[in-house]
Amino acid sequence: MKTVMDAFALVLQTDVLIAIVLSSIYGLVVGSLPGLSATMATALLVPVTFYLSPIAAIATIISASAMAIFSGDIPGALLRIPGTPASAAYTDEAYAMTRKGQPEMALGICVWFSALGGIAGTLSLMILAPPLAEMALNFSTYEYFWLAFLGLMCATMVARSSPVKAIASMLIGLLVSCVGIENPAGTPRFTFGSTDLLGGIEPIPALVGVFAVSEVMRAMLTSEPPKLPYRRFGSILAGQLALTKKYVAPQVRGNIVGIIIGVLPGAGADMAAWVSYSMSKRFSKEPEKFGTGHPEGLIEAGASNNASLASGWVPSLLFGIPGDTITAIAIGVLYMKGLNPGPTLFTERASSMYALYIIFIIANIIMIPLGIGMIRIAALVLRAPRASVMPVIVLLCAVGAFATGNNLFAVITVAAFGAIGYVMERNGYPVAAMVLGIVMGTMVEQSFVTSLIKSDGSILPFFSRPVAAVLAACTIAALLWPLGVWVWGRLRPRATAS
Amino acid sequence: MQLSDRVTGLFMVALGGLAAYGGSRLPPVPGQQIGPNVFPLVVGVGLAVCGAMIAFGIGRRYEEEAEADLAKITGRIAAETGESEAPTSWWRGLRALVPPALLLFYAGAVDRIGFLPTAAVVVLIASLALGARLRLAIPMAIGAPLFVNMVFLKLLRVPLPSGLLPLPWLGLP
Repeated sequence: MKTVMDAFALVLQTDVLIAIVLSSIYGLVVGSLPGLSATMATALLVPVTFYLSPIAAIATIISASAMAIFSGDIPGALLRIPGTPASAAYTDEAYAMTRKGQPEMALGICVWFSALGGIAGTLSLMILAPPLAEMALNFSTYEYFWLAFLGLMCATMVARSSPVKAIASMLIGLLVSCVGIENPAGTPRFTFGSTDLLGGIEPIPALVGVFAVSEVMRAMLTSEPPKLPYRRFGSILAGQLALTKKYVAPQVRGNIVGIIIGVLPGAGADMAAWVSYSMSKRFSKEPEKFGTGHPEGLIEAGASNNASLASGWVPSLLFGIPGDTITAIAIGVLYMKGLNPGPTLFTERASSMYALYIIFIIANIIMIPLGIGMIRIAALVLRAPRASVMPVIVLLCAVGAFATGNNLFAVITVAAFGAIGYVMERNGYPVAAMVLGIVMGTMVEQSFVTSLIKSDGSILPFFSRPVAAVLAACTIAALLWPLGVWVWGRLRPRATAS
Repeated sequence: MQLSDRVTGLFMVALGGLAAYGGSRLPPVPGQQIGPNVFPLVVGVGLAVCGAMIAFGIGRRYEEEAEADLAKITGRIAAETGESEAPTSWWRGLRALVPPALLLFYAGAVDRIGFLPTAAVVVLIASLALGARLRLAIPMAIGAPLFVNMVFLKLLRVPLPSGLLPLPWLGLP
């Protein structure tokens, strides 16, 4: 009980509360602008978190990301342009409702079920994390190696792209993490004689480049989205309670799917929304109504993407394996603030963990009033021309990257990774997998090399410990998956032809 | 910059091969079999294998499915707003390089001419490249650097170089 009280004391400080409110507003605005994703909102926040207390820093990330995932629904419902990729799955449905003259209903569903989904995700985090932490205390480097490897493989399997390309991106990320002297022998590796590269490539500037600069690069080539006409809304929350009672099953299913996808490393809110929307259609009693402005799919997918956001923190906090791209950034902040991810976080810094849960719940509760406010002024915010928003983002990338280490090499890193991310995305290489590789590279290598040194070069202990063996089996199955699909694809046409 | 799978795949093969070769040349730790060379070797070989698979078009089917899903949405947006896809000419395609080029300019210039002028140039060029009129771009170029300067220098205490424009009343040294 004392830890819970301590946690409340940590959260109820002025700086934390101000951080929650300001970052919520920031998240709502950035999320609602098409082309600016929730991950980008989080990446641009990192330099700011440097100068905050640990709890306030985490609070800004939690509240900004939760708000951005919801507010991406606003332009989706009103303009049929998803504000963040996480809203893309059900944009059509929400827009169809607007066209039927029910924009209040569509946006109400988005805000109400986003908040409920977020709270469900938080509950899963509270329930899942402690027992897993207990189990993880017995893990040695072998288990960590497989866990990290499995995390990387999961990320490649769920990417909406060719699995081979996803694995290639992931390996590029691992290669990036090889640069520098932070390796088992401390020899300069792939530094090409540059002193700037000795310290390695910092994940944060790389993430800012991949998620923010490449977004601006894309905006350079696409035309400006249409303006939103001003309209007066009726009551946003009217009828939501009735919908909550009517669609219990889709909602529960959406929450559960969201939680599971969030826990899987690398798969985040956008994946959760796609899966939940199609599941909702498959299990619905009236699938023919989907696409015509039917609330069911909207409820399920809207709940799902916000639920995944909270459960993405489970592997991140326990093992340092990011559950999605947002927590990939959050892990960097956790390390910076001395809250190194790991099972001991739950025993030694229990009050901080409780504080994190409380922040999640606060963020999801204030999402309702702030979200309604945002809906009402959305026409005003979306009127801002892109030519005024994007340049500021370029500037923030430069200043923010500089702020992370007070050196200009970080700015060059941002530029380089912006270009790399842009080219990769255009050619179908999922950048999220690369980011995961960059973030987890050091951990993968450390656990791999330490294990090999312990076993004196033998790979037997990687398979002989029980938990390690199970994890190894899962990983190898994931690794052989694309090969199996390819063989299957080759065999099947022949079978049908004969 | 859309390249064929064959080109990107072969690039991966080359990159993986170089990484494996570079890794294998790293000095080992005396008295130990495992050193800093193992990890780049494994990753490099893996990358080369993946590159070869991409060049041969393995796994392409998945991508086509995802693309079809996405095209359903973007295609309809484009049809409804009456907009065409991105310009295809080489010259206009180069505009995508503006943001990274501006960042490199920032990195090179900020220590010499100071934060405010550099940032003003960055904002001005970026907003013009996005098609803004001068009526919008010039106020942006003046206002945005001042705003960022205030937030980072005053609130977050990040030292931003003052360069040619020492403005003590803005908190610049």
